[in-house]
Amino acid sequence: MEYIVETNKLTKRFGKEYAVEAVDLRIPKGEIYGFLGPNGAGKTTTIRMLLGLMEPTLGNIKVFGKDLKRERIGILKKVGSLVENPSYYPHLTAYENLETIRKIYGVPKKRIADVLEIVRLSEVTNKKVKGFSLGMKQRLGIASSLLNKPELLILDEPTNGLDPSGIIEIRNLIKRLSKEEGMTILISSHLLSEIDQIADHVGVISKGKMIFQDTIDVMRRQSQKKISLKVNDYERANRILISNGMKADFSIDSITLPEHHDEDIANIVRVLVENNISVYRIEEEKRSLESTFLQMTAEERGL
Amino acid sequence: MIGKLIRTDFMKIRRKGIWFLTVLGPFGVVALQMVNYGLRKDWFIQQDIYSWFYYIRNVIAFTPFALILGIVILTSFMASIENETNAWKQVIALPVTKWGVYLSKYTTLAILLVVSTCLLTLFSLGFGMFLGLDGGIPYLDLIKYCFYTFFASLPVLGLQLWVALVSKNQGIPITLGIFGVILSYMAYFLPDWLIWKWPSLDNQWDEPIINVCLGLAVGLAIYLVGMIDFMRRDVK
Ligand SMILES: Nc1ncnc2c1ncn2[C@@H]1O[C@H](COP(=O)(O)OP(=O)(O)OP(=O)(O)O)[C@@H](O)[C@H]1O
Ligand SMILES: [Mg+2]
Repeated sequence: MEYIVETNKLTKRFGKEYAVEAVDLRIPKGEIYGFLGPNGAGKTTTIRMLLGLMEPTLGNIKVFGKDLKRERIGILKKVGSLVENPSYYPHLTAYENLETIRKIYGVPKKRIADVLEIVRLSEVTNKKVKGFSLGMKQRLGIASSLLNKPELLILDEPTNGLDPSGIIEIRNLIKRLSKEEGMTILISSHLLSEIDQIADHVGVISKGKMIFQDTIDVMRRQSQKKISLKVNDYERANRILISNGMKADFSIDSITLPEHHDEDIANIVRVLVENNISVYRIEEEKRSLESTFLQMTAEERGL
Repeated sequence: MIGKLIRTDFMKIRRKGIWFLTVLGPFGVVALQMVNYGLRKDWFIQQDIYSWFYYIRNVIAFTPFALILGIVILTSFMASIENETNAWKQVIALPVTKWGVYLSKYTTLAILLVVSTCLLTLFSLGFGMFLGLDGGIPYLDLIKYCFYTFFASLPVLGLQLWVALVSKNQGIPITLGIFGVILSYMAYFLPDWLIWKWPSLDNQWDEPIINVCLGLAVGLAIYLVGMIDFMRRDVK
């Protein structure tokens, strides 16, 4: 697979605290990558390093297959970004704000009207940004990130401060950019619900460590139903199942069965009963994607 | 790249009153002479110092104070434009080098100050001609002294810009600036090695050109130190 972003043991330390620790980010070309983690997990810090705003303490970053340290300018020409709260010059109009960025990229002036149209701010083109609502400022930030028609778009919590219809609108915009322009998009969020409908890949970061990275389908599969058994003697039950070559997850006080073909469950129960194990309960656990995510990050936090 | 950056920096200072200050500064210096000569014209004539030579000295006496004050205000305005909404993260994530961004800020300020200096020369010339001072008009001296003051103040510009651009808390550059303004006002009593003395063009050898050379050399050094420090800092 071709990766647009590839980090190797990316680490950032502030004083004694590791904000990001040995993160191997892999963002496949043309995909929407959801970067998930609770507050303070290290998302923004990782993104800052991807943009060359911060120097990693350790590790290296490749974007478009090139080393970020050595070819930063060439890389950034093809990257659009919105980091944390949108930045803007309040005393300038929306148009002038974009013009300060357009000049640097050297793209045609027409592009300013285009991106304002995309985020539906055309009507306030010549209004000072000072008077904009939070949502409008956020849109302006997204507009500036699109000026150079980037190949890689990095959006750090882009729906911050948007109302529900605004969130849906941005979500549709992201889908459209991915589909129509073939952009690779990294979008961070602390809410799974924000990205589970659009992301192809997810990376879950908690306390600076990447604790899950794969397609959202794999994550879904992990969240599917599980059957758990309560029995009188777990140790013996374990041995019996292992010697019968049956797949199950064991712990001191439960047996969980990842597969839930009815036939498999029946087999397992029969084997246990035939070996004089008392089966107290057979329970089906349903977990939503959200609770999988919560559990992943909670385990990491030691809760 | 630098050209583009400078043009965007000039866009960003729109409607900030920066151009107004650039004109107000030199006008203020000459306005002081208007008051001075308005009130004491007869005395000057009596003392036989109603000449271009003394007129230029009078103008130059107030210039350092105005110039240092101007530098403090302009640098902190310049920093506030990017600091206000932390636009640094947007600027540095563009395909530009950090040293380019720093150089552009410095150059923009230097251009504004050169404009101020030119205006000072013109305003002084105009009012001097209006006064009908004795002797021929010493164009060269006038230009020389106005620009000498500017060159001698470059270290202060470098220092203020550096501190303003890297401080999260703008109280630090402002406090430093106020000290500088006060020091420049007492230039006569300061030791020769203090950068705030240099714009006064005063030194123990009575050679203004020494202050100019020091200003250029130390100004460049402070600029480089500031730029390197800016480059190695993380953008928050
Ligand atoms: N400049 C800094 N100096 C010191 N510590 C920092 C700095 N920036 C971030 N941190 C710390 O690094 C950790 C990660 O912060 P980061 O902003 O990357 O989290 P995040 O995942 O973006 O969180 P959020 O969802 O709240 O935006 C936090 O514990 C934060 O306190
Ligand atoms: Mg963040």
